[in-house]
Amino acid sequence: MTARDRVAAAVLHTLLTVGLVVMAGPFLWMLLSSFKSEAEIRQVPTTWWPRDWTINGYRELLGRLDFPGYFTNSVVVAVFTTAGNLLFCAAAGYALAKLAFPGRRALFVVVLGTIMVPSIVTLVPLFVLTSNLGLVNTYAGLVLPFLAQAFGVFLMRQFMLSIPDDLLEAARIDGAGEFRIFWRIVLPLCRPALATLGILTFLASWNNFLWPLVAATTEDRYTLPVALALYSVGQNRARYDLLLAGSVVVVVPVLIVFVLLQRHFVRGIATTGLK
Amino acid sequence: MTAVRAAPAVAAGGVRRAPASGRARRALTGWGFALPFAALFLVFTAGPVVASLAMSFTDIRSADLREPLAVEPVGLDNYTRLFGDELFLRAAGNTTIFVVLGVPFTMALALLVAIGVNAGVTRFRTVFRVGYYLPVVTSIVAIAVVWRFLLQPDSGLVNSLLGLIGVDGPKWLDDTSLALPTLIVMAAWRNLGFAMVIFLAGLQAIPQDLYEAARIDGAGRWAQFRYVTLPVLRPTVLFVAVITTIGYVQFFEEPFVMTQGGPLDSTLSAAYHTYNQFGFGNYGYASAMSYVLFLVIVLLSIAWFRLLRSES
Amino acid sequence: MTRRTRAVGALVCALALAAAGCGRDDAGGEAQQGEQVAEGKASGEISVWAMGTEGEKLSTLAEDFMADNPDAKVTVTPVPWDGAHNKIATAIAGGQTPDVSMLGTTWMGEFAKTGALDVVPPDLIDESQFFEGAWQTGVVDETSFGVPWYVETRLLYVNKAVAQKAGVTEAPKTWEDLKAAVTAFKQQGGAEWGIYLQPGQTGAWQTAMPFVWQSGGDVLDGDAFALDRPEVVQGLEYYGSFFSEGLSSKDQLRGGEWEPRFVQGSIGSFVSGPWHIGVLNDLEGEGTYEIWPMPKGPQAATSFIGGSNLAVFKDSDNRDAAWKFVQFLMRPEVQVTWYRTVNDLPAVKSAWDDPALKDDELLSLFGAQLEDAKAPPSIPTWEQVSAAIDGELEKVAKGAASAADAANAMQQKATSIGTGG
Repeated sequence: MTARDRVAAAVLHTLLTVGLVVMAGPFLWMLLSSFKSEAEIRQVPTTWWPRDWTINGYRELLGRLDFPGYFTNSVVVAVFTTAGNLLFCAAAGYALAKLAFPGRRALFVVVLGTIMVPSIVTLVPLFVLTSNLGLVNTYAGLVLPFLAQAFGVFLMRQFMLSIPDDLLEAARIDGAGEFRIFWRIVLPLCRPALATLGILTFLASWNNFLWPLVAATTEDRYTLPVALALYSVGQNRARYDLLLAGSVVVVVPVLIVFVLLQRHFVRGIATTGLK
Repeated sequence: MTAVRAAPAVAAGGVRRAPASGRARRALTGWGFALPFAALFLVFTAGPVVASLAMSFTDIRSADLREPLAVEPVGLDNYTRLFGDELFLRAAGNTTIFVVLGVPFTMALALLVAIGVNAGVTRFRTVFRVGYYLPVVTSIVAIAVVWRFLLQPDSGLVNSLLGLIGVDGPKWLDDTSLALPTLIVMAAWRNLGFAMVIFLAGLQAIPQDLYEAARIDGAGRWAQFRYVTLPVLRPTVLFVAVITTIGYVQFFEEPFVMTQGGPLDSTLSAAYHTYNQFGFGNYGYASAMSYVLFLVIVLLSIAWFRLLRSES
Repeated sequence: MTRRTRAVGALVCALALAAAGCGRDDAGGEAQQGEQVAEGKASGEISVWAMGTEGEKLSTLAEDFMADNPDAKVTVTPVPWDGAHNKIATAIAGGQTPDVSMLGTTWMGEFAKTGALDVVPPDLIDESQFFEGAWQTGVVDETSFGVPWYVETRLLYVNKAVAQKAGVTEAPKTWEDLKAAVTAFKQQGGAEWGIYLQPGQTGAWQTAMPFVWQSGGDVLDGDAFALDRPEVVQGLEYYGSFFSEGLSSKDQLRGGEWEPRFVQGSIGSFVSGPWHIGVLNDLEGEGTYEIWPMPKGPQAATSFIGGSNLAVFKDSDNRDAAWKFVQFLMRPEVQVTWYRTVNDLPAVKSAWDDPALKDDELLSLFGAQLEDAKAPPSIPTWEQVSAAIDGELEKVAKGAASAADAANAMQQKATSIGTGG
């Protein structure tokens, strides 16, 4: 490493660290403030470090909610939604990126088009549909509408486009079937993309509020964000201590998933051997 | 559900055995892979979308919820009404500014950070990745509280810092000409992590030997970026561009929590206006608005696809 | 037609728009009569939706009801306020409504218009036992679709120390008194702002409409909007004067931001409902403030009334039992128990004779004001009309429009939106 490289590295690290503080600041405030009293949270000007540490927000929230039940519902919904999207979107993305078949272009355009429709306008028709299928207040009703999302297909297609065709051709010449190529060559190469899709789908599903709210009609089907909203925001007032404690509780699993999956942002072994 | 999940294996297995002609075989293989997705998608996404599109040609209101049969078709009335809706035009203008400034700003920042974290950081890489991603997972309520506190005219951190260099900081959120730019910066801050994660994944997919080859050819850092990174990253850039554009045309949460569209409608966005109309129960009109936004997004996406078309 | 065919038909109809076949059969605005409820005890399953804390605690009352009616089973599902409107709207569309639901008072017009709500049965519940303003929130097109469950109204909260320093010792009786008091809060009392009135934006109509009512104006006159009348202009001018005279901030302070300033004394006073007692006490502000009644304007001393209603859905499989449960919740002693459980103020007047309410210095003020409190008209388009009013109020507060211009704009916008009748 030359001296110039070292200076450049130092400057880069400084910049990125300053950026890190700017990016992480509000999260840290949320985390710290969840251990403050309602009065201290609302104090003007605000404090960073809690004056008197308290876990009252957490205690009240968890005391009033059937936490394990809601948590289980959220996990079931998010895990199935994520797994489904990984599988279906990878398969469809592969078809759209690498297989020439009639209707491919049309399928892609339609899929892409629906990403662009704001979800609020499809809420009522989707609910009527779910109701007609008899899926209201079931896990299937919570999961199925999000099991195959256009966003994921678009993401997988874009990543798979950068896989060299000759690699797949070589495998075909060696007599590998399409499914084998997909499973043994394409998927391993897509690890970073799959990790990304996993992170994003899990986050979206985990935080989803409106659909679980309308699709679950009894309390035992509520997911965590729905349950956490029960007592923190009232008709006329919000309880910030409950709100922040709830925000922290709900973010922990998302961060764990992120930390676990971001390890896969590394080159698939095969990639290095590409020509 | 089980049946659907098993479908790709079955379909693909069938393909392997099929000795059919090339064309039919290709169709079978392609649809075999796409079918499980396509079936679910058709029912749960495309169906409601078509229904909501149909709603936009009727005068359906929330009062018709129980008898949606009983609405009157009104043709393009909802669409033509839009162009006389003062608030919608205002909101469309705000949204345009937001998209034109916000999308490139967010993407450039995200790409810079991704390249920095990818290439420059050797230790604590996880800390940086997680750190830059935190705004994406932080609750919007907490974000709103902190940002409002930072931007407070009299006691906020931003104006305090400006005061140190002798600048009298403005009322960021209560000034009709500053509120929108402030929200653009906030949105970039919030969405940077999302784009960064995708860029990081894309950067990891670039074969290292391409860089080695470029270095042997005497390419500097900029040349490597320009002639290796960017071309290979193109599909990823396209993806981020389209997704960010979609997100920004539907710009809603920041004004919702920070300004409620004010002061004096200066941060009212088209999606916010749509949300309000939906809340008022004007389903037909709100749907029409959504499909105008949809059309705008489609046009912008086509532009992105043209601009970032892969060189063949 | 069953729900399923109705929904399928809707799709078909929407898709075949060219066909002129589908049209709305316009039900007239005549008063409808509810059906009688059978005598005897309630039985069967009763599903109830209630928001937030009410949803959490209602089961305790349901226990009492089930003790009285051993064959009935009440299941309460708590619903978050955030999104509750959407949840009820989609439930109506999908035919998935519960038997009973709590509804915000301003939603009544909209949901009654869908035809999803059952008309309040005659002779089941005595209208005269409720506060007049509260009962009216459930009346749509002269027909009652909901019964007031709990109520709230708005009074003046004043920082004691600021008032003392300003030499204001008693509650203002007139508009002029209020203006003088608030001016003194700012000039002698040391408050940066004498009062905090919401300067436009979502919900500001709840702050401004009482001034309009106090000057003798109203939203509707008969079936037509009356927002451009001189009385309305007078009310808006009074509201606007607090901003133009520098007594109230033109910049919006969001929820949570101004209460601490009030406790610290940099905001001298504000107008709000009973829940602020709890908010201020949470901020360690107990005992630092007083509550005063609303001053009398040129015509009246009317304040705003809000709260929630209970309604039974037409699709209910157990309608009679559902109404019996509602009737049970309206018993004066149950209303008192409910107040003790969640601090909701009783909508039934006689419940206020209970010492828990009558002897509470702060609460009895709210009780007195409820006698003269008004709700906006229960028209299905109210949410949209009120948003238009909020937008014009912001212009008045920020000095971007005169009260007269704003009143004209409100009238014109409201008229083009219509009353949805």
